[in-house]
Amino acid sequence: MELQTKDLYNPSMADIVAVEELTETEKRFEIQLPGDTALKHKPGQFVEVSIFGFGEAPISICSSPTKRSTTFDLTIRKTGRLTDKIHLLTAGSKVGIRGPFGNGFNASDFEGKDILFIAGGIGLAPLKSMIDYTIDKRDDFKRIIIVYGTKKPSEILFPSEIKKWQERDDVEFYMTVDHADADWKGNVGVITTLIPPLKLDEENTVAAVVGPPVMYKFTAMALKAKRLPDKNIFMSLERRMKCGVGKCGHCQINNSYVCQDGPVYNYLRVKELEEAI
Amino acid sequence: MHLKNPLTLQNKGYVFFDSETMKTFISFLMNQAELIAAHKKGESSYVFRAAENVDEVILDYPRTIQPLKKFFLPPRETLLNFNLEENDFDVPDMETKKRIFFGVHSYELQAIHILDYNFKRGNPESNYLKKREESLFIGISYTPDEYHFGKSVGLEIEKTEGMCLYIEPMEAGYYMFVVDDNGLKLLTEFSSETVALKTETIKPQPKEFQKKIKYHYNRLPQVFDKVYDSSVWKKVSEKCVGCGTCNLLCPTCYCFDVRDEIELDTINGKRERFWDGCMLNTFAEAAGGENFRDKLHNRTRHRLFRKFKYITEHSGELSCVGCGRCTSFCPANISIIDIINNLIEEVSLNS
Amino acid sequence: MSKPKVAFFDFTSCEGCQLNKLNFENDLLDMLKLVDIVEFREAMDDTADEYDIAFIEGSISSPTCVERIHDIRRRTKILVALGQCAVSGGINAMKNDQPSDWVREEVYGDDKYLFPSLPAMPVRAVVKVDYEVRGCPMSAPEYLHVLKSLVLGRKPEIFDHAVCVECKLKENECVLDKGMFCLGPVTRAGCDALCPSFGQYCTGCRGPVSNINKNGTIEMLKAHGFSVTEAMKRMKLFNTNDMEKSISWGNR
Repeated sequence: MELQTKDLYNPSMADIVAVEELTETEKRFEIQLPGDTALKHKPGQFVEVSIFGFGEAPISICSSPTKRSTTFDLTIRKTGRLTDKIHLLTAGSKVGIRGPFGNGFNASDFEGKDILFIAGGIGLAPLKSMIDYTIDKRDDFKRIIIVYGTKKPSEILFPSEIKKWQERDDVEFYMTVDHADADWKGNVGVITTLIPPLKLDEENTVAAVVGPPVMYKFTAMALKAKRLPDKNIFMSLERRMKCGVGKCGHCQINNSYVCQDGPVYNYLRVKELEEAI
Repeated sequence: MHLKNPLTLQNKGYVFFDSETMKTFISFLMNQAELIAAHKKGESSYVFRAAENVDEVILDYPRTIQPLKKFFLPPRETLLNFNLEENDFDVPDMETKKRIFFGVHSYELQAIHILDYNFKRGNPESNYLKKREESLFIGISYTPDEYHFGKSVGLEIEKTEGMCLYIEPMEAGYYMFVVDDNGLKLLTEFSSETVALKTETIKPQPKEFQKKIKYHYNRLPQVFDKVYDSSVWKKVSEKCVGCGTCNLLCPTCYCFDVRDEIELDTINGKRERFWDGCMLNTFAEAAGGENFRDKLHNRTRHRLFRKFKYITEHSGELSCVGCGRCTSFCPANISIIDIINNLIEEVSLNS
Repeated sequence: MSKPKVAFFDFTSCEGCQLNKLNFENDLLDMLKLVDIVEFREAMDDTADEYDIAFIEGSISSPTCVERIHDIRRRTKILVALGQCAVSGGINAMKNDQPSDWVREEVYGDDKYLFPSLPAMPVRAVVKVDYEVRGCPMSAPEYLHVLKSLVLGRKPEIFDHAVCVECKLKENECVLDKGMFCLGPVTRAGCDALCPSFGQYCTGCRGPVSNINKNGTIEMLKAHGFSVTEAMKRMKLFNTNDMEKSISWGNR
């Protein structure tokens, strides 16, 4: 049998159609592939974004494919060589896109269930693709609970979306900051402090967790304390990826390639992977 | 778990070459295609390179520095050439050219077989696979030195799978075993008449491996099921300096890094990939600076697990081929055989 | 886009790194197209008040050095340490191992009180350093990489793996295997394994990789027939500040 090989490393040159400044360090970019091609992604998947001379990096897609098909959003934090440069780009600039890659969230794992989203910091960006998806297909899901924590109020992402979530009767939204400023009226404390007061139907609740590496262990403990079964917890893990297609080896956690088997893992699998969290 | 059983010395018969005929044959092959063979480098090292002169081709050598993978997954390879002003790129030609790899040991072939598996699996990668097309391999037997341990990973010296011809040197010349039709075709074209293959049994001098793993290779996956938390890893990492030589020269390691470099005109540049290795400092560093395998003992464990467990779980074959490079080129004299035997010892003590 | 204003300064050093740049031949002209060199004592007389990029050669080893480097830091947007003296103290830091009084007497004799001296320090011990180009002399390809990157407005990509990696990529015959001394297994790459590529051993002039296994390195050198004293001496040649725990600014 003739094996179909692919030029895996050639990016599509996509247009940035809009840029929105979210915080001092985060911007949202709306991207359009050449020829209005649909990205055809699932919530929770990622793309490899590149700028020639500056390199390439994996970035989660933060929009849901439900309402828009020809553009998608990336929320990018300024953290280094490539992302510093991306932050200088404006609408009309071009970036290289490869993907979508990774498994993403499986809607069937969540349908007919109460959904508990737990987002720490920039973890809200990848989760937002799934939050939007569940809100767009609201009838497929029962309760939608969003728990969101950031270090400080100035780091809060997507304020306009958050406002809409807060206004909806069918979305429960809780948030906290680690360190308050003078204007902050809400909760103060790490994200795990929001979990114990939740009233959950543990057998019928599915949690989706994304945040900085340090958050996972403590969130898992808090969810275990709520008697959520392991199989009802999903986590999206972050690793360095050079290829996105299961070759370069950088993202490997024990025997699992995050770019192939992840980034979304069931907690049962995470527990098997000693290097995961 | 039961590992695949490798075939040994499959052949359709043989002819005999004296030394002069062998030289003529090599010249003949050099006219057919690019001929890659072992050559001397420096004082006592060997490298694979394209042959220019028959007399420089080496048939008797322990191992080359870089394995054959360098021809299919080059140490540095340009993935894209780009232009910053036009924000555009083109892909360098990946022309397939016919190459004959001459005088390679069975472990090199097995390593290529494992790389094929990894580059075909999931997303078949054209950069590697295009270079793999049109390759012919002519194997040769070798005398194991203090670092070879092929037999311990199930790989006999005479394992001919993937070869078209197999050479067994003897006192007065060489037996040329025909392994497949490509081999027969080469011999026929060389002698320009029908080749009369001999089939009577010959018994080459048996060759013993000096180094052995204590358990049969079939038992190694079970050993690796039990040694994740072994004390052996930390012991090894006391000696290890993390230079990455074992990764880079391993014939089945294929991890890589990708970097963009621009020219002095700051307009043109290229995206290149380089061999990388999980033993190196920053290999498992993520965007936030967190290093998920920052300790040497974790990295050593990961390297060995990739050879004996992680890939084996779905390929059904060990990813170590017993070439001995990681040991013979290790500046800190760390022996992979010693590591495995220490793990086995620990497992048998604890069971 | 206006060309960045670049200046070069020398502190305690042999000035070999700066000289090295004038030897770039063809690349030198291309380089001049990218930047405006506004101060470069070895090549011109002009001076300027402010710079986009200041390249600093040499270690900080006297009170005057400290004043000067603070002044430069105030006037430059980006500061790059150039060569091992500026990056780690380099060869100059060998004196840090000796009693200061004895060192000054050896060098200046009876006039020693006229020349106040400090231990040889890396530039980063005194002011913020944005980027470093290692080596003695500084590695030319790494310098060009840093310069191109800064002109383009990107962070340079500096490796933290061993020279062995570059030797293996080039398929060099191993120097240690030839019975020679070599610090390649623990010295930072970025020089394209220049010395081993010409059959010479790695002297460690680019400093150790960031989390060097020091005991392992000594054991390795012992296994190759070098005594502990000799191993330490050789490891310290360019890197006294990195190897001596008692000297605190060596660690990052």
